[in-house]
Amino acid sequence: MANRNKSDELSFANKELASQNNEKEKWAQELVIANRELDIANKELAFQNEVKEKRAAELVIANRELAFQNEEKEKRAAELVIANKELAFQNKEKEKRAAELVIANKELAFQNEEKEKRAAELVIANRELKHAEDDIRKLNDELEQKVIERTAQLESANKELESFSYSVSHDLRSPIRAINGYAKILEEDYSDKLDSDGKKTLDSIMHNSKKMGQLIDDLLAFSKLGRKQVTVSEINMTDLVRTVIDELLFEDDENTPEFKINVLSPAKGDQSLIKQVLINLISNAIKYSKYKPETYIEIGSDVKDKLVFYYVKDNGAGFDMEYYDKLFGVFQRLHSQEEFEGTGIGLAIVQKIVNRHNGTVWAESVLNEGSCFYFSLPESSFPHNCF
Amino acid sequence: MNYNDVEILFAEDSIDDATLTIRALVKSGFTNKLYHVKDGAEALDFIYCRGMYASRNINEKPKLILLDLKMPKLTGMEVLEKIKSDPNLKSIPIVILTSSNEDPDVQKCYALGANSYIVKPVDSDNFFNAIKEIGMYWVIINQPIH
Repeated sequence: MANRNKSDELSFANKELASQNNEKEKWAQELVIANRELDIANKELAFQNEVKEKRAAELVIANRELAFQNEEKEKRAAELVIANKELAFQNKEKEKRAAELVIANKELAFQNEEKEKRAAELVIANRELKHAEDDIRKLNDELEQKVIERTAQLESANKELESFSYSVSHDLRSPIRAINGYAKILEEDYSDKLDSDGKKTLDSIMHNSKKMGQLIDDLLAFSKLGRKQVTVSEINMTDLVRTVIDELLFEDDENTPEFKINVLSPAKGDQSLIKQVLINLISNAIKYSKYKPETYIEIGSDVKDKLVFYYVKDNGAGFDMEYYDKLFGVFQRLHSQEEFEGTGIGLAIVQKIVNRHNGTVWAESVLNEGSCFYFSLPESSFPHNCF
Repeated sequence: MNYNDVEILFAEDSIDDATLTIRALVKSGFTNKLYHVKDGAEALDFIYCRGMYASRNINEKPKLILLDLKMPKLTGMEVLEKIKSDPNLKSIPIVILTSSNEDPDVQKCYALGANSYIVKPVDSDNFFNAIKEIGMYWVIINQPIH
């Protein structure tokens, strides 16, 4: 009995051991599984760690970024502070300016008032100006009216003058002609009844009436010059002088003058009037040389201060420069009628014609030695129609 | 006087000018052939045989008419115009006598057909000669229309 038990016990123990082995294997397997799971878990953990590390790294970056942003924000805050200060300063400036503007506005308002005042004054001034303009216009109208009236008066005065000239020539000549004619009848029909004094008186009547007729004719010729139309053309003065001399008649007993005619500058003027000037000057030169044994007359032209002038020079009686201002006067004479006959119209006509050409006439003389008469005819001479 | 023998009809209102002119013409031999009228109206009466000249033969025309310009009633120019616009009379020579060379009517006279225009000279010798020559030329030398 004890052995059998022991074998039973051993078998049992074996069975027990085998079961235990099974169990152990089961556990080993379970362990393998658990290990596997653990491994997986570990791997998972490793992965998670990696993720976490990544995130940590990211966080670090994020933190850095954040820090940078913070810095930026601080910077900006500082800038803002500065900007605020600036703004505050600007605000103060603006307030200052606003205050100034208020003052300026007041000033402006004042100025506006002033301007309105002035505008009002200007309105008044304008009205006054308007009145003044009206007055001026009125005055102008009146002036124009007056000019028209004066022109009409002048025209009528001119007509009157013309009819006066006509009247002078017509009505004054008639009685003179009658006096002369009746004196002539006395002379022709009754001279045997007159003694020598009576005949002398008759001669004087005839001589004076003749002279009166001459004076009337001269005066008319002179006044006619003022009305004559002036026609300006180019004048060959040398030719004109030659023509004038050729046309002059020389009495046999006269000492025939010796002429020296220089080449004369051409002139612009009224040929017939300028011819009259030359006729009068040359005739005078001849007339006032009649007591000289020889008559020498020089005619020429010259230029002085851009002014062309002509001259007629003689070696005749000359005149006293003391009476120069009378030389060109109408009916003014510097010599007696007995010495040199004439009415005293010649030089007045010369002056009138030259003046009508805008020119000047003048003379130089030494008594008993001769005279020189000059006249200028400006290049741009436009004749005066009234003088 | 026989109005039909008149060779020179002379119209002049001034007694003095008429006296002197007539004297000059008479002295030159036109004594009996000269007739003097005192204004333009009388000159036309003579020419047209009117009024106191009604008996005159209208066909006997003067050889010359001397007309003063300034005359009463009708002026010399009016007489001139009348005669020169009449076809029967316009061949009669008409000489205008005037005192003035200033007369504004010279051109008008010629335009109206005056044959000559004479300014009476102041000097009596010249006056005499002028009148004598007018008479000589127009009455004796000039050949009228027959």
